[in-house]
Amino acid sequence: MPRDTAELFGKPTPRIDGVAKVTGAARYASDEPVANPAFAWLVTSAIARGRVGGLRLDSAKAVPGVIDILTHDNVGALAQPPAQMDGGPTTTTLETDQIWHDGQIIAIVVAESFEAAREAANRVEVDYVAEPPSATFDSPGVQVEPHKTTEDSKDPAKGDAAAALAAAEVKIDARYSTPTQHHNPIELFTTTCVWDGPHLTIYEGSQAMWGLKANVAKQLGMDPAMVRTISRFVGGAFGSRGGTTSRTAWIAIAAKRLGRPVKLVATRDQGFTIATYRAETRQHLALGASRDGKLTAFVHEGWEVTSRPSGYNVAGVDTTARMYACPNIATAVHVVHADRNTPGFMRAPPETPYMFALESGMDELAHALNMDPIELRRVNDTKIDPVSGKPFSSRSLMACFDQAAAKFGWSGRNPKPGSMRDGDWLIGWGCATATYPTNIGPAAARLAVTPEGKVTVQLAAHEIGTGAYTVVAITAARSLGLKVDDTTVMLGDSSLPPVTVAGGSNNAATTANVVYKACEEVRRRLAEAATADPASPLHGADAASLQLKGGTLMGPTGASEPFKAALSRVTGGVLEVHAENAPQGSKPGAVAGLYEGKSAMVRGTGRENVTTFAFGAHFVEVRVHERTREIRTPRVVSAFSAGTIVNPMTAHSQFMGGALWGLSAALFEATEIDRKTARYVNHNLADYLIPVNADVPDIQVLVVPEEDDQVNPLGIKGIGEIGIVGMNAAVANAVFHATGTRIRDLPIRAESLL
Amino acid sequence: MHQSSDTRGPSRRGVMGAAAGLAAGSAARVAAQPAVSGAESGGHVAMRLQINGHDHDLNVDVRTSLLDALREHLDLTGSKKGCDQGQCGACTVLIDDQRELSCLTLAIAAQGRRITTIEGLAGADGALHPMQQAFIDNDAFQCGYCTPGQILSAVACVAEGHATTDADIQEHMSGNLCRCGAYPKIVLAIKQARGQMGRG
Repeated sequence: MPRDTAELFGKPTPRIDGVAKVTGAARYASDEPVANPAFAWLVTSAIARGRVGGLRLDSAKAVPGVIDILTHDNVGALAQPPAQMDGGPTTTTLETDQIWHDGQIIAIVVAESFEAAREAANRVEVDYVAEPPSATFDSPGVQVEPHKTTEDSKDPAKGDAAAALAAAEVKIDARYSTPTQHHNPIELFTTTCVWDGPHLTIYEGSQAMWGLKANVAKQLGMDPAMVRTISRFVGGAFGSRGGTTSRTAWIAIAAKRLGRPVKLVATRDQGFTIATYRAETRQHLALGASRDGKLTAFVHEGWEVTSRPSGYNVAGVDTTARMYACPNIATAVHVVHADRNTPGFMRAPPETPYMFALESGMDELAHALNMDPIELRRVNDTKIDPVSGKPFSSRSLMACFDQAAAKFGWSGRNPKPGSMRDGDWLIGWGCATATYPTNIGPAAARLAVTPEGKVTVQLAAHEIGTGAYTVVAITAARSLGLKVDDTTVMLGDSSLPPVTVAGGSNNAATTANVVYKACEEVRRRLAEAATADPASPLHGADAASLQLKGGTLMGPTGASEPFKAALSRVTGGVLEVHAENAPQGSKPGAVAGLYEGKSAMVRGTGRENVTTFAFGAHFVEVRVHERTREIRTPRVVSAFSAGTIVNPMTAHSQFMGGALWGLSAALFEATEIDRKTARYVNHNLADYLIPVNADVPDIQVLVVPEEDDQVNPLGIKGIGEIGIVGMNAAVANAVFHATGTRIRDLPIRAESLL
Repeated sequence: MHQSSDTRGPSRRGVMGAAAGLAAGSAARVAAQPAVSGAESGGHVAMRLQINGHDHDLNVDVRTSLLDALREHLDLTGSKKGCDQGQCGACTVLIDDQRELSCLTLAIAAQGRRITTIEGLAGADGALHPMQQAFIDNDAFQCGYCTPGQILSAVACVAEGHATTDADIQEHMSGNLCRCGAYPKIVLAIKQARGQMGRG
């Protein structure tokens, strides 16, 4: 049984990597020093569909300092396309002459300097065989098909939703859309490859160290044991660095051809097309209810854009159908194949777009019922997952609504749209549910402790800004009764024990539970040695009752001995343990799969006896200028309840950053696509709008305490993604309250309200 | 004095070559076709940069940005590349105590000026600058990638007298993007540090 988690966790702790990050000492992938690198520059396609008819390279090769140019002709057969997380196909790059999308890699120039490589790349002349491309929804030539369902993910269905909807006393029926978005982490997409004989080292920001290693090895036909991936710090990821993309293997091949390290730093605009993105969606939502607000019918359909070969989709109906009690559920998801790069995970991939529709729709239903939107959620709150019939392991949704509402001052709201104003500014107050499934993955960790109480923990987990180093340090130090300051944590290196992908907000639960397990092994060995030794004051005590606390091994009666003395009974030097953890509910072989680079996870909806989610509530005030329709968001209150909070300091930052992402999704972010050429238009940080400091309102984050020993032994739920979910709807709901205009297409901008 | 010599380029050229390269670079700018003009190819130039109180001698492609000089030739990788086109602020350094974008500054144009990077902000004894400590104390970052630029910009923001009110700080820190959304904590950090910073 784990110790009382309140004793271990909950103390705000500054990041142990803080000094490295504020002094410039933190080495992100492209910061790693390598000897005498050559520099790569990508040549990308200027058309979205067709093929490369020919490349004229003479002018490029004439640039002083150019060493090599990789094309389909000279390296195309040397690598297979990277495996995808969904197991399906994706677009190719140099493997063939086919062009699947705008900005596809079609050649790579390698030179003595960035400057020479860039100039030469600009001198590559491409003869395209172009065909008219299909850009997005409604473009001629797109192919629409139902998404593929699996045993783990079926479209939720129950009862007879169509009949219930037809018979409903009150109903809403509406269509919504969400735009293309790009992660745009501030760190560019970079790859540096170094060969040492048959050994390949890849420096690349990654959310899946062992996955990247296994995938690239497979692409190159290598033994994975010969590939090492290093990513000690990641300059933002948000899902963009979870999968393996095409560039990595080509840079490895470039380095192999040269017998010299090769470094690629792709440009910001290339990042829009050589990696993934959040695809645009269209959704249809219909809700039926009785006069008292109880849902009787739930219909949610989605359409999502993807590339020609990939079936990637996020199918957020699997979350929305579980939000509220409802006896009749019908859902469907379709993919729309266009001439685009393959989309991928972006912060709360299913929930961000799909909860926009549901939480907008709930607000519309509340309005139709003349009911307070919080009360509508309360009437339909449920402790039972309406899709599976399993209980939620915990669900503090209404506690979040109530606490955030009180802080926000919701009771002072006049529900009539357009009724609140301050001079020329129309004031609107809106709210929405936040949620995210609670996932956990298998992991391994190595822990070493010295007699002086110095601890080193090593595992190939991922510091993408979540505070991962500090989560591990806190767990190890507090579980061993030692000091966080005496803990050294090493992450981000595939030569360390494997950890599943840092996705699905699983990192804290995954790493803390495996590190706790390693600490428990240390405790057990010290306790058994002490209780068996007549020289110990703990001799004869029950080993299971001993705890490591305050630098001592302590018995239940208060007898204790210093950590050093306890450790000396086990070893004269350093005690090292290797722990592996397959969370309850893992499929057979989950830990073995880690060593093959597989990224398994026990999902919130995939457990035997319970459904596990975290919940929250957003409240936002918008102000819309009566004449200019300028939209401002002066204040936000968001409450979250997510089980054990390992480090309140960094958790607050993640919740707050997530809420800001939600505001950004509501009001700013959209990748614009030229419909004729199927090319991204605003592929830079000046034209792709993200908030700057002056855009940020007063954001208050409340954490509602919650204990949940069913999600995992330490009771940790994920917190990295929930913050974004539902905020887009809360803003839209507030805009409706301010103006009486319902906006169902994101982002909401002044022109939406003209 | 630190001596750094970079000989990675295809050839080393003397002062005359440097002058020719500079002239060609200027001409290319006027023509607004720098990427396809042949004149600037491969011209290397010797230069001396004063960074964090030390002189560094370099021989690099005349087109090398100050950011690439720092990162690729001097192993000063604290200055980050987030866009390479002056939009994100991650490459911010102080030049003669003014905040500048090192990606939009040619290295050769920074000669004779005092350059301060994040590596040079802490004291010689390693004691953190009050702004660095304030960023840690307020958790004013997550991934940390924009942080060096934010901190140098924050130091300049205070020195400029633009850190008197929250709104003033927010406005004058809006040239540094933070995708993790640490902005409110960056404001808190600046408010903590502003009273602790000495003159300049």
